[in-house]
Amino acid sequence: EEEFVLQAISLPISRVRLIMKSSPDVSSINQDALFLTTKATELFVQHLALTSFNNRSQTEANTLNYSDLAKTAEESDTFHFLTDILPKKILAQDYLKTLEQMQDEDSDF
Amino acid sequence: MDGDSSTTDASQLGMTGEYMASSHYVLHPQDDDGEENMNDHEDGGTKENYREQDIYLPIANVARIMKNAVPQTGKIAKDAKECVQECVSEFISFITSEASERCHQEKRKTINGEDILFAMSTLGFDMYVDPLKLYLQKFREAMKGEKGMPGVAVGESLGEDLTDDGFANPLPAGIITADGQQQNVMVYTTTAYPQIPTVQQIQFS
Repeated sequence: EEEFVLQAISLPISRVRLIMKSSPDVSSINQDALFLTTKATELFVQHLALTSFNNRSQTEANTLNYSDLAKTAEESDTFHFLTDILPKKILAQDYLKTLEQMQDEDSDF
Repeated sequence: MDGDSSTTDASQLGMTGEYMASSHYVLHPQDDDGEENMNDHEDGGTKENYREQDIYLPIANVARIMKNAVPQTGKIAKDAKECVQECVSEFISFITSEASERCHQEKRKTINGEDILFAMSTLGFDMYVDPLKLYLQKFREAMKGEKGMPGVAVGESLGEDLTDDGFANPLPAGIITADGQQQNVMVYTTTAYPQIPTVQQIQFS
């Protein structure tokens, strides 16, 4: 007889439940719903990480960065709901440089 | 990027709050220097925060799943881990709100599995639905079969609202345990089951 791991849930279910309960108007959640949400969350993390990794702007770096995630959220239908919490970040120095360039361009006219 | 035309536009979903235009910027004052942070999650105040709740899943768990998802040689920046941690809470809330709405429309008080699956389908995650149904089926079978299957035990009946207490029943070693902290919930069975499709087999287009 074989005994093997049927499935392992690697996320704390109680924490998932806490997050679900923090949604307005949620009274109770049955076991199936909690299990499915937890499992789906695992799939979501894998999906987001892999998609963003494959989609990353600096392919030679082999590192998944915040900007790769922001890029994926913007370009993907599935992950578009994340754009609110994933604003594209730019360094202040780059922003100032861009501002200067814009001002230079304006002064040409 | 995706070809599907499912509704993920917040304004169409009737979500409250401003739906921000996609091209907006947040100034980040300095390069990330990668310094270690003792907290589970760091919000340096450089990201605009439009969400009320700040409950996250533990970053170690999230990071582990990410690490296993990308190629073995791939690395994950610290701010990416924290970011996905936030995205996860957003995802859970996203699904839950939709499921809750459907529940209320049908005058029911308890969100069930169907509500969750329906919400996922509606919100553009229909590629998760079939694997999830399979996982649920296996989970149910394992939970139900405590009589003839040594090594599988269940502490409470199905269908009841799950509480933390429910997980606290003493169980044989290696089965379902819960202490509210980072945990591995393992379901063992002595019957061979057909291979469950893994994430890699799901078409993430």
